[in-house]
Amino acid sequence: MTNTREITLTVNGTERSTEVEPRRLLVHAIREDLDLTGTHIGCDTGNCGACTVLVDGEPIKSCLMFAAQADGSEVMTVEGMEDLPESDGLHPLQEGFHEEHGLQCGYCTPGMLMAGKALLDENPDPDEAEIREAISGNLCRCTGYQNIVKSIEYAADKLAAQPAADGGTVAIDGDAGPAAAGSAADGPEPFEGYEVDGEFTCGAENCCGGPATDAEHTGGDNV
Amino acid sequence: MKAANFEHHEPTSVSKAVSLLESLEEPTILSGGQSLVPMLRFRLARPDTVVDINGIDELDYLHEEGGYLKIGALARHADVEDSELIEERYGSFADTVPLVADPQIRNRGTIVGSVAQADPKGDWGSVLIAHDGEVVATGPDGERTVPIDELFLLPYDTSLDEDELITEARVPIPVEREGSAYHKLKRKTGDYAMAGVAARLIFDDDGRIEDAGIGMTAVDITNVRASDAEERLGGERPDPELFAEAGELAAEQSNPESDEHGDASYKERMVEVLTQRALGDAAERAGVIKRRVSP
Ligand SMILES: Cc1cc2nc3c(=O)[nH]c(=O)nc-3n(C[C@H](O)[C@H](O)[C@H](O)COP(=O)(O)OP(=O)(O)OC[C@H]3O[C@@H](n4cnc5c(N)ncnc54)[C@H](O)[C@@H]3O)c2cc1C
Ligand code: FES
Ligand code: FES
Repeated sequence: MTNTREITLTVNGTERSTEVEPRRLLVHAIREDLDLTGTHIGCDTGNCGACTVLVDGEPIKSCLMFAAQADGSEVMTVEGMEDLPESDGLHPLQEGFHEEHGLQCGYCTPGMLMAGKALLDENPDPDEAEIREAISGNLCRCTGYQNIVKSIEYAADKLAAQPAADGGTVAIDGDAGPAAAGSAADGPEPFEGYEVDGEFTCGAENCCGGPATDAEHTGGDNV
Repeated sequence: MKAANFEHHEPTSVSKAVSLLESLEEPTILSGGQSLVPMLRFRLARPDTVVDINGIDELDYLHEEGGYLKIGALARHADVEDSELIEERYGSFADTVPLVADPQIRNRGTIVGSVAQADPKGDWGSVLIAHDGEVVATGPDGERTVPIDELFLLPYDTSLDEDELITEARVPIPVEREGSAYHKLKRKTGDYAMAGVAARLIFDDDGRIEDAGIGMTAVDITNVRASDAEERLGGERPDPELFAEAGELAAEQSNPESDEHGDASYKERMVEVLTQRALGDAAERAGVIKRRVSP
């Protein structure tokens, strides 16, 4: 019985299609079909969290989901972090792991980064208990977790300090973030956005396509 | 190991799911997949066809209606975690959810999938027992309700027919002077229980126990009811000695196995302790006792 079907995923902002058998796990599709080997396989049974990716913004274990089930979804893997608006080469979380020695062998790191990203997206100012809870599905053989917690704290601080100009706090749906709120009276912040595969996107869900296509943004990037 | 190959069906309505279940030979239902995917990988299950219910939007709900808290088959553990309704009024549910697995698994796994899995170590079965819950099973002949005590037969075996799926789990909405709690002993974050106890107490105007429900996790071949302890509590006023006695009765009725995590007598002793704690919390949440919190 060879029954395959084509699935389409938006992976790190880019649409990708691949043929899969129903039994193909998402983690294998990501690593082997899409050649994104940053997502690791540790235990294969849902215990270690090394395979954590975001599907439609939620952290899940990609060894416990069939690829076909993700058809039509947005998937984010560790490779997508550098393209985020808040990244300057490295994402603040990646920088945090570097600065605070959050890794040793690095095997668990991609999963830790994705779990950390999901946490900070929902809760920009987590306390230590909340950080430990968020990474409780991710095992690390090396670090004792203390420095991983510090790394995520580092990223939270850095993101909070990032001016809206960096795209770190992009106002979505009129909900200006804390950094943007302070300067609202001074008129709109310069807006930079970022590019993925040559296409401009600001990170907002309904991105207008950027300065070239929307006059409203001309006061930003092109100032 | 890879799962054996199977055909993947994705019905978008309950009626389509039921007709698939009826027409296919030995189909397996896939909901959150957090228990099923590992079973397929280890080839403990080798179905030819998998009926994936994740696309049936009508099963995605968690609300009070018609006297019940109704949990649709696609309500994930995380939906219970995020629910204000649960936080305010369903102590045992709020206690349980952070103790189930970890955040990633809670984003996918469902309460209904968990009871359908009928794992004696599953936490939700005990909570439903304590609340006198039931599940709604839908098959070719329509819906029927199955009291939770009649659902679990053996480890990983339920009384469902092959062409039935559980569309909903439900418990009666709490009345006034009702409280509930769940206590679980585990070795580390994210682990299954070594022992767990869910308790629910309803008090009458007089402050006496009108109804008690106690469900136990991981201490028998299925989730089980501590009926002797429940009976002992009926008509009594809450006090520590009574709860200690109920704990002893629950322990006597439990039937744990010795394993690498502890021997049977240790687990029985844990049932005793967990029962007392769960009853204490339930009575406190019902507003009939105040306990001194140690400094
Ligand atoms: C590492 C790890 C730790 C875990 N820790 C805990 C824990 O501490 N406590 C706990 O309680 N659980 C734990 N679990 C299990 C987890 O909670 C699962 O989510 C849950 O038991 C199964 O739910 P599911 O929706 O994923 O079901 P699935 O895995 O999709 O299905 C489970 C079984 O139920 C059947 N089924 C599913 N839905 C239906 C339906 N609607 N009608 C009829 N049959 C159905 C399936 O055919 C299958 O046999 C853990 C799992 C893992 C991987
Ligand atoms: S490889 Fe998925 S949780 Fe370990
Ligand atoms: S750094 Fe080695 S496993 Fe975490």
